[in-house]
Amino acid sequence: MDAPAITAPPLAAQPSAWRVVEYQLVAARRYWRSIVVLGVITPLTYVLALGVGLGVVVDDHSHQLGVPYLVFVAPAFLTAAALQIAAADASFPLMAGFKWIRTFHGMVSTPLTPEQVCDGQLLWIALRLVVNSSLYLAIMAAFGGTQRWWVLLAIPAATLTGMAFASMVAALAAVLENEGNGFNMLFRFVVTPMFLFSGTFYPISQLPAWGRWLAYVSPLWHGTELARGAGIGGLSAGAALGHIAYLVAWLVVGVLLARWRFRVRLTR
Amino acid sequence: MGIPESADLLDSRARSSAGALISAQTLTKRFGEFTAVDGIDFEVSRGEAFGFLGPNGAGKSSTMRMIGCVAPVSSGTLRILGMDPAANGPAIRARLGVVPQQDTLDLELTVRENLYVYGRYFGMSRSVLRPKIDELLDFAQLTERADAKVEPLSGGMKRRLTIARSLINDPEILLLDEPTTGLDPQARHVLWDRLYRLKQAGVTLVLTTHYMDEAEQLCDRLVVMDGGRIVAEGSPRELIAAHSSREVAELRFAPGDNAAAAAGITTAMAGVEARVEVLPDRVLLYVEDGEAAVVRVRDDRIIPVSSLVRRSTLEDVFLRLTGRSLVD
Repeated sequence: MDAPAITAPPLAAQPSAWRVVEYQLVAARRYWRSIVVLGVITPLTYVLALGVGLGVVVDDHSHQLGVPYLVFVAPAFLTAAALQIAAADASFPLMAGFKWIRTFHGMVSTPLTPEQVCDGQLLWIALRLVVNSSLYLAIMAAFGGTQRWWVLLAIPAATLTGMAFASMVAALAAVLENEGNGFNMLFRFVVTPMFLFSGTFYPISQLPAWGRWLAYVSPLWHGTELARGAGIGGLSAGAALGHIAYLVAWLVVGVLLARWRFRVRLTR
Repeated sequence: MGIPESADLLDSRARSSAGALISAQTLTKRFGEFTAVDGIDFEVSRGEAFGFLGPNGAGKSSTMRMIGCVAPVSSGTLRILGMDPAANGPAIRARLGVVPQQDTLDLELTVRENLYVYGRYFGMSRSVLRPKIDELLDFAQLTERADAKVEPLSGGMKRRLTIARSLINDPEILLLDEPTTGLDPQARHVLWDRLYRLKQAGVTLVLTTHYMDEAEQLCDRLVVMDGGRIVAEGSPRELIAAHSSREVAELRFAPGDNAAAAAGITTAMAGVEARVEVLPDRVLLYVEDGEAAVVRVRDDRIIPVSSLVRRSTLEDVFLRLTGRSLVD
Protein backbone atom coordinates (compact mmCIF):
# COMPACT_ATOMS: atom_id res chain seq x y z
CA MET A 1 0.00 0.00 0.00
CA ASP A 2 2.15 2.77 1.31
CA ALA A 3 5.40 2.94 -0.63
CA PRO A 4 8.00 4.10 1.89
CA ALA A 5 9.83 7.34 1.20
CA ILE A 6 13.31 6.68 -0.12
CA THR A 7 16.35 8.74 -0.90
CA ALA A 8 16.10 10.59 -4.18
CA PRO A 9 18.22 9.28 -7.04
CA PRO A 10 20.71 11.84 -8.32
CA LEU A 11 19.47 14.15 -11.05
CA ALA A 12 21.10 13.96 -14.48
CA ALA A 13 22.53 17.42 -13.88
CA GLN A 14 21.98 19.71 -10.95
CA PRO A 15 19.53 22.37 -12.01
CA SER A 16 20.69 25.84 -11.23
CA ALA A 17 19.74 29.47 -11.40
CA TRP A 18 21.94 29.79 -14.49
CA ARG A 19 19.27 27.92 -16.49
CA VAL A 20 17.00 30.87 -15.83
CA VAL A 21 19.71 33.26 -17.00
CA GLU A 22 20.05 31.16 -20.14
CA TYR A 23 16.31 31.53 -20.78
CA GLN A 24 16.65 35.29 -20.49
CA LEU A 25 19.57 35.22 -22.93
CA VAL A 26 17.44 33.33 -25.47
CA ALA A 27 14.63 35.85 -24.96
CA ALA A 28 17.06 38.78 -25.22
CA ARG A 29 17.98 37.77 -28.77
CA ARG A 30 14.86 39.67 -29.76
CA TYR A 31 15.40 42.87 -27.82
CA TRP A 32 19.13 43.27 -27.20
CA ARG A 33 19.29 46.07 -29.75
CA SER A 34 16.84 48.17 -27.77
CA ILE A 35 18.87 47.51 -24.59
CA VAL A 36 21.99 48.79 -26.33
CA VAL A 37 20.26 51.81 -27.87
CA LEU A 38 18.76 52.73 -24.50
CA GLY A 39 22.10 52.04 -22.85
CA VAL A 40 23.78 54.55 -25.15
CA ILE A 41 21.09 57.23 -25.41
CA THR A 42 20.53 57.57 -21.65
CA PRO A 43 24.16 58.42 -20.80
CA LEU A 44 24.43 60.63 -23.90
CA THR A 45 21.50 62.79 -22.86
CA TYR A 46 22.56 63.02 -19.22
CA VAL A 47 26.20 63.64 -19.95
CA LEU A 48 25.46 66.26 -22.61
CA ALA A 49 22.56 68.07 -20.95
CA LEU A 50 23.60 68.04 -17.32
CA GLY A 51 27.28 67.26 -17.33
CA VAL A 52 28.37 69.41 -20.21
CA GLY A 53 25.57 72.02 -20.30
CA LEU A 54 24.98 72.53 -16.60
CA GLY A 55 28.65 71.89 -16.01
CA VAL A 56 29.62 75.06 -17.86
CA VAL A 57 27.52 77.13 -15.44
CA VAL A 58 28.72 75.25 -12.35
CA ASP A 59 32.37 75.34 -13.34
CA ASP A 60 32.14 79.13 -13.90
CA HIS A 61 30.80 79.74 -10.41
CA SER A 62 32.35 77.16 -8.18
CA HIS A 63 35.79 75.87 -7.39
CA GLN A 64 34.75 73.77 -4.39
CA LEU A 65 34.55 70.49 -6.31
CA GLY A 66 38.18 70.46 -7.37
CA VAL A 67 37.38 68.68 -10.65
CA PRO A 68 35.26 69.60 -13.67
CA TYR A 69 31.54 69.17 -12.92
CA LEU A 70 31.22 66.40 -15.52
CA VAL A 71 33.88 64.35 -13.76
CA PHE A 72 32.08 64.96 -10.46
CA VAL A 73 28.58 64.11 -11.69
CA ALA A 74 29.15 61.32 -14.26
CA PRO A 75 29.95 58.44 -11.83
CA ALA A 76 26.83 59.41 -9.86
CA PHE A 77 24.70 59.33 -13.02
CA LEU A 78 26.12 55.93 -13.85
CA THR A 79 25.13 54.63 -10.43
CA ALA A 80 21.69 56.24 -10.54
CA ALA A 81 21.07 54.73 -13.99
CA ALA A 82 21.99 51.28 -12.65
CA LEU A 83 19.54 51.68 -9.79
CA GLN A 84 16.74 52.85 -12.07
CA ILE A 85 17.26 50.02 -14.55
CA ALA A 86 17.43 47.53 -11.70
CA ALA A 87 14.17 48.81 -10.24
CA ALA A 88 12.45 48.73 -13.63
CA ASP A 89 13.68 45.21 -14.46
CA ALA A 90 12.72 43.84 -11.06
CA SER A 91 9.18 45.25 -11.14
CA PHE A 92 6.85 44.74 -14.12
CA PRO A 93 8.88 42.01 -15.88
CA LEU A 94 8.79 39.91 -12.70
CA MET A 95 5.09 40.55 -12.19
CA ALA A 96 4.61 39.27 -15.75
CA GLY A 97 6.38 36.05 -14.82
CA PHE A 98 4.00 35.53 -11.91
CA LYS A 99 0.81 36.84 -13.37
CA TRP A 100 0.63 37.60 -17.08
CA ILE A 101 2.76 35.14 -19.01
CA ARG A 102 3.17 32.95 -15.90
CA THR A 103 6.56 31.62 -17.00
CA PHE A 104 7.72 31.27 -13.37
CA HIS A 105 4.91 28.79 -12.74
CA GLY A 106 6.23 26.75 -15.67
CA MET A 107 9.77 26.86 -14.27
CA VAL A 108 8.79 25.45 -10.87
CA SER A 109 7.11 22.48 -12.58
CA THR A 110 10.64 21.41 -13.54
CA PRO A 111 13.43 20.49 -11.10
CA LEU A 112 14.02 24.22 -10.57
CA THR A 113 13.00 25.55 -7.15
CA PRO A 114 11.36 28.94 -6.50
CA GLU A 115 14.62 30.10 -4.89
CA GLN A 116 16.55 29.23 -8.06
CA VAL A 117 14.01 31.07 -10.20
CA CYS A 118 14.46 34.10 -7.94
CA ASP A 119 18.26 33.90 -8.01
CA GLY A 120 18.27 33.44 -11.77
CA GLN A 121 16.16 36.53 -12.34
CA LEU A 122 18.41 38.56 -10.05
CA LEU A 123 21.56 37.24 -11.76
CA TRP A 124 20.09 38.28 -15.09
CA ILE A 125 19.48 41.81 -13.80
CA ALA A 126 23.03 41.93 -12.45
CA LEU A 127 24.38 40.88 -15.83
CA ARG A 128 22.39 43.62 -17.48
CA LEU A 129 23.73 46.17 -15.00
CA VAL A 130 27.32 45.19 -15.74
CA VAL A 131 26.73 45.63 -19.48
CA ASN A 132 24.84 48.86 -19.03
CA SER A 133 27.34 50.40 -16.62
CA SER A 134 30.20 49.52 -18.96
CA LEU A 135 28.44 51.27 -21.84
CA TYR A 136 27.81 54.25 -19.57
CA LEU A 137 31.44 54.44 -18.59
CA ALA A 138 32.57 54.30 -22.22
CA ILE A 139 30.33 57.26 -23.10
CA MET A 140 31.56 59.17 -20.03
CA ALA A 141 35.12 58.59 -21.11
CA ALA A 142 34.36 59.71 -24.65
CA PHE A 143 33.15 63.09 -23.33
CA GLY A 144 35.98 63.65 -20.90
CA GLY A 145 34.06 62.53 -17.82
CA THR A 146 36.84 60.27 -16.56
CA GLN A 147 40.31 61.07 -15.24
CA ARG A 148 41.86 57.81 -14.02
CA TRP A 149 41.68 54.02 -14.41
CA TRP A 150 40.28 53.56 -10.92
CA VAL A 151 36.97 54.74 -12.37
CA LEU A 152 36.47 51.18 -13.70
CA LEU A 153 35.50 50.26 -10.12
CA ALA A 154 32.38 52.35 -10.65
CA ILE A 155 31.00 49.36 -12.62
CA PRO A 156 30.94 46.91 -9.67
CA ALA A 157 29.88 49.74 -7.34
CA ALA A 158 26.89 50.60 -9.53
CA THR A 159 26.02 46.93 -10.01
CA LEU A 160 26.06 46.31 -6.26
CA THR A 161 23.90 49.38 -5.68
CA GLY A 162 21.40 48.32 -8.32
CA MET A 163 21.19 44.77 -6.96
CA ALA A 164 20.79 45.92 -3.34
CA PHE A 165 17.66 47.73 -4.47
CA ALA A 166 16.49 45.25 -7.15
CA SER A 167 16.34 42.40 -4.64
CA MET A 168 13.88 44.40 -2.51
CA VAL A 169 11.82 45.32 -5.59
CA ALA A 170 11.78 41.64 -6.62
CA ALA A 171 10.35 40.73 -3.21
CA LEU A 172 7.69 43.40 -3.71
CA ALA A 173 6.91 42.08 -7.22
CA ALA A 174 6.31 38.64 -5.71
CA VAL A 175 3.94 40.12 -3.13
CA LEU A 176 1.82 42.42 -5.33
CA GLU A 177 -1.23 40.62 -6.70
CA ASN A 178 -1.89 43.15 -9.48
CA GLU A 179 -0.54 46.31 -11.06
CA GLY A 180 -2.53 48.65 -8.84
CA ASN A 181 -0.39 51.56 -7.74
CA GLY A 182 2.35 49.62 -5.99
CA PHE A 183 5.09 50.14 -8.56
CA ASN A 184 3.98 53.65 -9.47
CA MET A 185 4.27 54.65 -5.81
CA LEU A 186 7.67 53.02 -5.69
CA PHE A 187 8.97 54.97 -8.67
CA ARG A 188 7.36 58.27 -7.72
CA PHE A 189 8.01 58.32 -4.00
CA VAL A 190 11.16 56.23 -3.64
CA VAL A 191 13.20 55.99 -6.83
CA THR A 192 12.88 59.59 -8.04
CA PRO A 193 13.44 61.27 -4.63
CA MET A 194 16.40 58.98 -4.09
CA PHE A 195 17.90 60.37 -7.28
CA LEU A 196 17.45 63.93 -6.00
CA PHE A 197 18.64 63.42 -2.42
CA SER A 198 21.60 61.06 -2.80
CA GLY A 199 24.36 63.49 -3.63
CA THR A 200 24.04 62.90 -7.34
CA PHE A 201 24.14 66.57 -8.38
CA TYR A 202 25.89 68.12 -5.37
CA PRO A 203 27.69 66.90 -2.25
CA ILE A 204 25.19 66.10 0.49
CA SER A 205 27.05 68.49 2.80
CA GLN A 206 24.96 71.12 0.99
CA LEU A 207 21.77 69.58 2.45
CA PRO A 208 20.20 70.38 5.84
CA ALA A 209 20.46 67.62 8.45
CA TRP A 210 17.14 65.93 7.56
CA GLY A 211 18.18 65.78 3.93
CA ARG A 212 21.50 64.24 4.86
CA TRP A 213 19.69 61.53 6.78
CA LEU A 214 17.63 60.74 3.70
CA ALA A 215 20.91 60.24 1.89
CA TYR A 216 22.43 58.06 4.61
CA VAL A 217 19.47 55.68 4.42
CA SER A 218 19.39 55.56 0.64
CA PRO A 219 21.47 52.81 -0.99
CA LEU A 220 22.01 55.19 -3.88
CA TRP A 221 24.06 57.63 -1.79
CA HIS A 222 26.35 54.83 -0.61
CA GLY A 223 26.76 53.63 -4.19
CA THR A 224 27.34 57.16 -5.43
CA GLU A 225 30.07 57.73 -2.85
CA LEU A 226 31.78 54.52 -3.97
CA ALA A 227 31.54 55.30 -7.68
CA ARG A 228 32.61 58.90 -7.22
CA GLY A 229 35.45 57.82 -4.95
CA ALA A 230 36.58 55.49 -7.73
CA GLY A 231 36.36 58.30 -10.28
CA ILE A 232 37.98 61.19 -8.41
CA GLY A 233 39.46 59.71 -5.24
CA GLY A 234 39.23 61.24 -1.79
CA LEU A 235 37.42 58.22 -0.30
CA SER A 236 39.07 56.56 2.68
CA ALA A 237 39.28 52.77 2.84
CA GLY A 238 37.20 52.79 6.02
CA ALA A 239 34.44 54.83 4.42
CA ALA A 240 34.52 52.63 1.34
CA LEU A 241 34.15 49.48 3.46
CA GLY A 242 31.28 51.10 5.35
CA HIS A 243 29.43 51.86 2.12
CA ILE A 244 30.05 48.37 0.79
CA ALA A 245 28.88 46.81 4.05
CA TYR A 246 25.67 48.84 3.98
CA LEU A 247 24.91 47.82 0.38
CA VAL A 248 25.74 44.17 1.02
CA ALA A 249 23.41 44.21 4.02
CA TRP A 250 20.60 45.48 1.76
CA LEU A 251 21.44 42.83 -0.81
CA VAL A 252 21.48 39.96 1.68
CA VAL A 253 18.20 41.00 3.31
CA GLY A 254 16.66 41.67 -0.11
CA VAL A 255 17.66 38.31 -1.57
CA LEU A 256 16.36 36.45 1.49
CA LEU A 257 13.06 38.33 1.33
CA ALA A 258 12.75 37.81 -2.42
CA ARG A 259 13.48 34.07 -2.20
CA TRP A 260 10.90 33.71 0.58
CA ARG A 261 8.22 35.62 -1.34
CA PHE A 262 8.97 33.69 -4.57
CA ARG A 263 8.41 30.45 -2.69
CA VAL A 264 5.19 31.69 -1.10
CA ARG A 265 3.87 32.95 -4.43
CA LEU A 266 4.81 29.92 -6.53
CA THR A 267 3.89 27.08 -4.17
CA ARG A 268 0.34 27.88 -3.19
CA MET B 1 28.50 6.34 -12.30
CA GLY B 2 29.03 5.34 -8.70
CA ILE B 3 27.62 1.98 -7.67
CA PRO B 4 25.70 3.25 -4.63
CA GLU B 5 23.85 5.85 -6.72
CA SER B 6 22.86 3.46 -9.49
CA ALA B 7 21.73 0.89 -6.97
CA ASP B 8 19.60 3.58 -5.36
CA LEU B 9 18.16 4.52 -8.71
CA LEU B 10 17.33 0.93 -9.59
CA ASP B 11 15.84 0.48 -6.17
CA SER B 12 13.54 3.45 -6.60
CA ARG B 13 12.45 2.34 -10.08
CA ALA B 14 11.85 -1.21 -8.89
CA ARG B 15 9.84 -0.18 -5.90
CA SER B 16 7.70 2.28 -7.75
CA SER B 17 6.96 -0.15 -10.55
CA ALA B 18 6.06 -2.87 -8.09
CA GLY B 19 3.62 -0.70 -6.15
CA ALA B 20 1.63 2.34 -7.12
CA LEU B 21 3.32 5.22 -8.97
CA ILE B 22 1.25 7.63 -6.93
CA SER B 23 -0.39 6.88 -3.64
CA ALA B 24 -2.28 9.21 -1.32
CA GLN B 25 -3.76 8.61 2.10
CA THR B 26 -6.05 11.17 3.75
CA LEU B 27 -4.45 13.76 1.50
CA THR B 28 -5.57 17.23 2.54
CA LYS B 29 -5.00 20.75 1.24
CA ARG B 30 -6.09 23.76 3.26
CA PHE B 31 -5.89 27.43 2.39
CA GLY B 32 -6.36 29.16 5.74
CA GLU B 33 -9.85 28.21 6.91
CA PHE B 34 -10.85 26.77 3.55
CA THR B 35 -10.32 23.05 2.90
CA ALA B 36 -9.84 22.53 -0.84
CA VAL B 37 -8.98 18.81 -0.63
CA ASP B 38 -10.54 16.98 2.28
CA GLY B 39 -8.70 13.77 3.16
CA ILE B 40 -8.76 11.80 -0.10
CA ASP B 41 -7.24 8.36 -0.76
CA PHE B 42 -6.24 7.08 -4.18
CA GLU B 43 -3.58 5.12 -6.02
CA VAL B 44 -2.38 5.31 -9.61
CA SER B 45 -0.58 2.34 -11.20
CA ARG B 46 2.00 2.39 -13.96
CA GLY B 47 0.57 2.68 -17.47
CA GLU B 48 -2.85 3.70 -16.22
CA ALA B 49 -4.90 6.68 -17.40
CA PHE B 50 -6.41 8.03 -14.21
CA GLY B 51 -8.89 10.89 -14.04
CA PHE B 52 -10.25 13.34 -11.52
CA LEU B 53 -13.74 14.30 -12.62
CA GLY B 54 -15.62 17.10 -10.92
CA PRO B 55 -17.05 20.59 -11.22
CA ASN B 56 -14.99 23.75 -10.77
CA GLY B 57 -13.91 24.10 -7.16
CA ALA B 58 -14.06 20.36 -6.44
CA GLY B 59 -10.38 20.29 -5.45
CA LYS B 60 -9.02 18.73 -8.64
CA SER B 61 -6.41 21.38 -9.40
CA SER B 62 -5.20 21.55 -5.80
CA THR B 63 -4.72 17.78 -5.90
CA MET B 64 -2.81 18.06 -9.16
CA ARG B 65 -0.57 20.79 -7.77
CA MET B 66 0.29 18.57 -4.80
CA ILE B 67 1.08 15.63 -7.12
CA GLY B 68 3.17 18.00 -9.25
CA CYS B 69 5.24 18.82 -6.12
CA VAL B 70 4.40 22.48 -6.46
CA ALA B 71 1.90 22.97 -3.65
CA PRO B 72 2.87 21.53 -0.25
CA VAL B 73 0.62 18.91 1.33
CA SER B 74 -1.31 20.27 4.36
CA SER B 75 -1.78 16.85 5.97
CA GLY B 76 -1.96 13.19 5.03
CA THR B 77 0.55 11.14 3.04
CA LEU B 78 1.52 11.50 -0.59
CA ARG B 79 4.13 9.34 -2.34
CA ILE B 80 5.09 9.86 -5.97
CA LEU B 81 7.45 7.36 -7.62
CA GLY B 82 8.05 6.13 -4.10
CA MET B 83 9.29 9.49 -2.89
CA ASP B 84 7.99 12.17 -0.56
CA PRO B 85 7.35 15.49 -2.36
CA ALA B 86 8.30 17.47 0.74
CA ALA B 87 11.79 15.97 0.76
CA ASN B 88 12.46 15.18 -2.92
CA GLY B 89 10.45 17.72 -4.93
CA PRO B 90 13.10 18.44 -7.58
CA ALA B 91 13.95 14.75 -8.06
CA ILE B 92 10.28 13.87 -8.53
CA ARG B 93 9.63 16.82 -10.82
CA ALA B 94 12.55 15.68 -12.98
CA ARG B 95 10.46 12.60 -13.83
CA LEU B 96 7.07 14.29 -14.26
CA GLY B 97 5.50 16.08 -17.20
CA VAL B 98 3.06 18.85 -16.35
CA VAL B 99 0.36 20.40 -18.51
CA PRO B 100 -1.06 23.17 -16.32
CA GLN B 101 -4.57 24.52 -16.59
CA GLN B 102 -3.27 27.86 -17.89
CA ASP B 103 -0.46 27.82 -20.42
CA THR B 104 2.89 29.12 -19.17
CA LEU B 105 4.54 29.45 -22.59
CA ASP B 106 6.72 32.44 -23.41
CA LEU B 107 4.70 34.06 -26.18
CA GLU B 108 7.68 36.10 -27.43
CA LEU B 109 9.81 33.03 -28.08
CA THR B 110 9.41 30.67 -31.01
CA VAL B 111 7.86 27.24 -30.67
CA ARG B 112 11.31 25.63 -30.83
CA GLU B 113 12.85 28.05 -28.32
CA ASN B 114 10.11 27.29 -25.82
CA LEU B 115 10.94 23.59 -26.03
CA TYR B 116 14.67 24.24 -25.87
CA VAL B 117 14.55 26.50 -22.83
CA TYR B 118 12.26 24.11 -20.99
CA GLY B 119 14.54 21.16 -21.73
CA ARG B 120 17.44 23.15 -20.30
CA TYR B 121 15.54 23.54 -17.03
CA PHE B 122 15.80 19.75 -16.77
CA GLY B 123 19.53 19.94 -17.30
CA MET B 124 19.35 18.31 -20.73
CA SER B 125 22.27 18.96 -23.05
CA ARG B 126 21.96 20.68 -26.43
CA SER B 127 22.92 17.52 -28.30
CA VAL B 128 20.21 15.49 -26.57
CA LEU B 129 17.64 18.25 -27.01
CA ARG B 130 18.06 18.83 -30.74
CA PRO B 131 16.66 15.47 -31.97
CA LYS B 132 14.19 15.35 -29.09
CA ILE B 133 12.68 18.69 -30.08
CA ASP B 134 12.27 17.60 -33.70
CA GLU B 135 10.53 14.44 -32.56
CA LEU B 136 8.17 16.38 -30.28
CA LEU B 137 7.39 18.98 -32.95
CA ASP B 138 6.38 16.15 -35.22
CA PHE B 139 4.27 14.53 -32.50
CA ALA B 140 2.49 17.81 -31.76
CA GLN B 141 2.03 18.52 -35.51
CA LEU B 142 3.91 21.78 -35.12
CA THR B 143 6.93 21.14 -37.35
CA GLU B 144 5.82 23.77 -39.86
CA ARG B 145 5.46 26.36 -37.12
CA ALA B 146 8.72 25.46 -35.39
CA ASP B 147 10.34 28.84 -35.93
CA ALA B 148 7.20 30.94 -35.57
CA LYS B 149 6.50 32.98 -32.47
CA VAL B 150 4.01 31.41 -30.08
CA GLU B 151 1.82 34.49 -29.66
CA PRO B 152 -0.26 34.23 -32.88
CA LEU B 153 -0.79 30.45 -32.66
CA SER B 154 -4.32 29.13 -32.14
CA GLY B 155 -5.45 27.91 -28.73
CA GLY B 156 -5.24 24.30 -29.91
CA MET B 157 -1.69 24.75 -31.18
CA LYS B 158 -0.56 26.38 -27.94
CA ARG B 159 -2.09 23.51 -26.02
CA ARG B 160 -0.30 20.97 -28.23
CA LEU B 161 2.94 22.87 -27.67
CA THR B 162 2.38 22.76 -23.91
CA ILE B 163 1.86 18.99 -24.16
CA ALA B 164 4.98 18.61 -26.34
CA ARG B 165 6.92 20.66 -23.80
CA SER B 166 5.72 18.48 -20.94
CA LEU B 167 7.19 15.44 -22.73
CA ILE B 168 10.67 16.89 -23.18
CA ASN B 169 12.12 14.90 -20.27
CA ASP B 170 10.44 11.58 -21.21
CA PRO B 171 8.28 11.75 -18.09
CA GLU B 172 7.08 8.61 -16.35
CA ILE B 173 3.88 10.37 -15.31
CA LEU B 174 2.09 13.05 -17.31
CA LEU B 175 -0.17 15.38 -15.31
CA LEU B 176 -2.83 17.15 -17.35
CA ASP B 177 -5.00 19.76 -15.63
CA GLU B 178 -8.07 20.34 -17.80
CA PRO B 179 -6.14 19.75 -21.02
CA THR B 180 -8.92 20.73 -23.43
CA THR B 181 -10.90 23.38 -21.55
CA GLY B 182 -11.63 26.32 -23.84
CA LEU B 183 -10.79 24.52 -27.08
CA ASP B 184 -13.16 24.02 -30.00
CA PRO B 185 -14.42 20.46 -30.67
CA GLN B 186 -12.04 19.83 -33.54
CA ALA B 187 -8.97 20.91 -31.54
CA ARG B 188 -10.14 18.72 -28.65
CA HIS B 189 -10.32 15.66 -30.88
CA VAL B 190 -6.81 16.27 -32.21
CA LEU B 191 -5.56 16.56 -28.64
CA TRP B 192 -7.38 13.44 -27.50
CA ASP B 193 -5.80 11.54 -30.34
CA ARG B 194 -2.32 12.66 -29.21
CA LEU B 195 -3.05 11.72 -25.59
CA TYR B 196 -4.40 8.37 -26.67
CA ARG B 197 -1.13 7.69 -28.50
CA LEU B 198 0.83 8.53 -25.35
CA LYS B 199 -1.31 6.15 -23.38
CA GLN B 200 -0.66 3.42 -25.97
CA ALA B 201 3.06 4.15 -25.61
CA GLY B 202 2.79 3.32 -21.90
CA VAL B 203 2.90 6.81 -20.38
CA THR B 204 0.94 7.04 -17.15
CA LEU B 205 -1.65 9.79 -17.53
CA VAL B 206 -3.27 11.64 -14.66
CA LEU B 207 -5.82 14.18 -15.75
CA THR B 208 -8.55 16.39 -14.41
CA THR B 209 -11.58 17.37 -16.39
CA HIS B 210 -15.09 18.58 -16.01
CA TYR B 211 -16.02 17.10 -19.37
CA MET B 212 -17.49 13.64 -18.97
CA ASP B 213 -16.89 12.81 -22.64
CA GLU B 214 -13.19 13.51 -22.09
CA ALA B 215 -13.13 11.29 -19.03
CA GLU B 216 -14.92 8.52 -20.92
CA GLN B 217 -12.57 8.82 -23.89
CA LEU B 218 -9.30 8.81 -22.00
CA CYS B 219 -9.61 7.34 -18.51
CA ASP B 220 -9.21 3.69 -17.55
CA ARG B 221 -10.22 4.59 -14.04
CA LEU B 222 -11.44 7.75 -12.41
CA VAL B 223 -12.60 9.28 -9.20
CA VAL B 224 -15.51 11.68 -8.99
CA MET B 225 -14.72 14.64 -6.74
CA ASP B 226 -17.12 17.07 -5.13
CA GLY B 227 -16.43 19.60 -2.40
CA GLY B 228 -12.88 18.34 -1.86
CA ARG B 229 -13.93 14.71 -1.36
CA ILE B 230 -13.98 11.62 -3.53
CA VAL B 231 -17.60 10.54 -3.93
CA ALA B 232 -17.08 7.56 -6.25
CA GLU B 233 -14.30 5.59 -7.89
CA GLY B 234 -14.08 3.07 -10.74
CA SER B 235 -13.85 2.68 -14.50
CA PRO B 236 -16.36 4.77 -16.48
CA ARG B 237 -18.33 1.58 -17.18
CA GLU B 238 -18.30 0.49 -13.53
CA LEU B 239 -19.39 3.92 -12.34
CA ILE B 240 -22.29 3.97 -14.77
CA ALA B 241 -23.31 0.44 -13.78
CA ALA B 242 -23.12 1.26 -10.07
CA HIS B 243 -24.73 4.68 -10.05
CA SER B 244 -26.97 4.92 -13.10
CA SER B 245 -29.27 2.83 -15.26
CA ARG B 246 -28.42 1.41 -18.66
CA GLU B 247 -30.51 3.95 -20.54
CA VAL B 248 -31.93 7.40 -20.02
CA ALA B 249 -35.07 8.85 -21.55
CA GLU B 250 -34.92 12.64 -21.74
CA LEU B 251 -38.39 14.16 -21.88
CA ARG B 252 -38.99 17.85 -22.55
CA PHE B 253 -42.20 19.56 -21.61
CA ALA B 254 -43.42 23.13 -21.97
CA PRO B 255 -41.57 25.53 -19.64
CA GLY B 256 -42.92 25.23 -16.09
CA ASP B 257 -44.61 21.89 -16.74
CA ASN B 258 -41.65 19.69 -15.88
CA ALA B 259 -42.39 19.20 -12.17
CA ALA B 260 -46.05 18.31 -12.75
CA ALA B 261 -45.13 15.94 -15.56
CA ALA B 262 -42.51 14.26 -13.35
CA ALA B 263 -45.15 13.43 -10.76
CA GLY B 264 -47.30 11.84 -13.47
CA ILE B 265 -44.35 9.92 -14.84
CA THR B 266 -43.55 8.50 -11.40
CA THR B 267 -47.10 7.16 -11.21
CA ALA B 268 -46.93 5.80 -14.75
CA MET B 269 -43.71 3.95 -14.02
CA ALA B 270 -45.02 2.27 -10.88
CA GLY B 271 -43.88 -1.36 -10.76
CA VAL B 272 -40.87 -0.79 -13.06
CA GLU B 273 -37.39 -0.06 -11.81
CA ALA B 274 -37.07 3.60 -12.68
CA ARG B 275 -35.80 6.85 -11.24
CA VAL B 276 -37.02 10.30 -12.18
CA GLU B 277 -34.82 13.39 -12.07
CA VAL B 278 -36.25 16.86 -12.73
CA LEU B 279 -33.92 19.43 -14.33
CA PRO B 280 -34.94 23.01 -15.11
CA ASP B 281 -35.38 22.26 -18.81
CA ARG B 282 -36.25 18.54 -18.92
CA VAL B 283 -37.14 15.40 -17.03
CA LEU B 284 -34.70 12.49 -16.98
CA LEU B 285 -36.05 8.99 -16.65
CA TYR B 286 -33.46 6.38 -15.65
CA VAL B 287 -34.53 2.93 -16.81
CA GLU B 288 -33.21 -0.27 -18.37
CA ASP B 289 -35.25 0.14 -21.55
CA GLY B 290 -35.73 3.75 -22.61
CA GLU B 291 -38.02 3.20 -25.60
CA ALA B 292 -40.39 1.05 -23.59
CA ALA B 293 -40.50 3.68 -20.87
CA VAL B 294 -41.37 6.45 -23.34
CA VAL B 295 -44.23 4.31 -24.73
CA ARG B 296 -45.48 3.67 -21.24
CA VAL B 297 -45.47 7.35 -20.34
CA ARG B 298 -47.32 8.27 -23.55
CA ASP B 299 -49.87 5.52 -22.85
CA ASP B 300 -50.64 7.39 -19.63
CA ARG B 301 -51.40 10.49 -21.79
CA ILE B 302 -48.35 12.35 -20.61
CA ILE B 303 -47.16 13.79 -23.91
CA PRO B 304 -43.71 15.44 -23.95
CA VAL B 305 -42.82 18.15 -26.51
CA SER B 306 -39.87 15.99 -27.44
CA SER B 307 -38.19 12.84 -26.22
CA LEU B 308 -34.78 11.27 -26.65
CA VAL B 309 -33.42 7.93 -25.51
CA ARG B 310 -29.69 7.57 -24.90
CA ARG B 311 -27.24 5.49 -22.90
CA SER B 312 -26.18 6.63 -19.44
CA THR B 313 -23.01 8.72 -19.24
CA LEU B 314 -20.76 9.90 -16.45
CA GLU B 315 -22.79 13.11 -16.42
CA ASP B 316 -25.69 11.03 -15.09
CA VAL B 317 -23.42 9.46 -12.50
CA PHE B 318 -22.32 12.88 -11.38
CA LEU B 319 -25.88 14.17 -11.24
CA ARG B 320 -26.90 11.17 -9.17
CA LEU B 321 -24.01 11.53 -6.73
CA THR B 322 -24.03 15.29 -6.26
CA GLY B 323 -27.43 16.47 -7.44
CA ARG B 324 -25.74 18.93 -9.78
CA SER B 325 -24.55 18.98 -13.39
CA LEU B 326 -20.84 19.09 -14.11
CA VAL B 327 -20.77 22.24 -16.19
CA ASP B 328 -23.13 24.98 -15.10
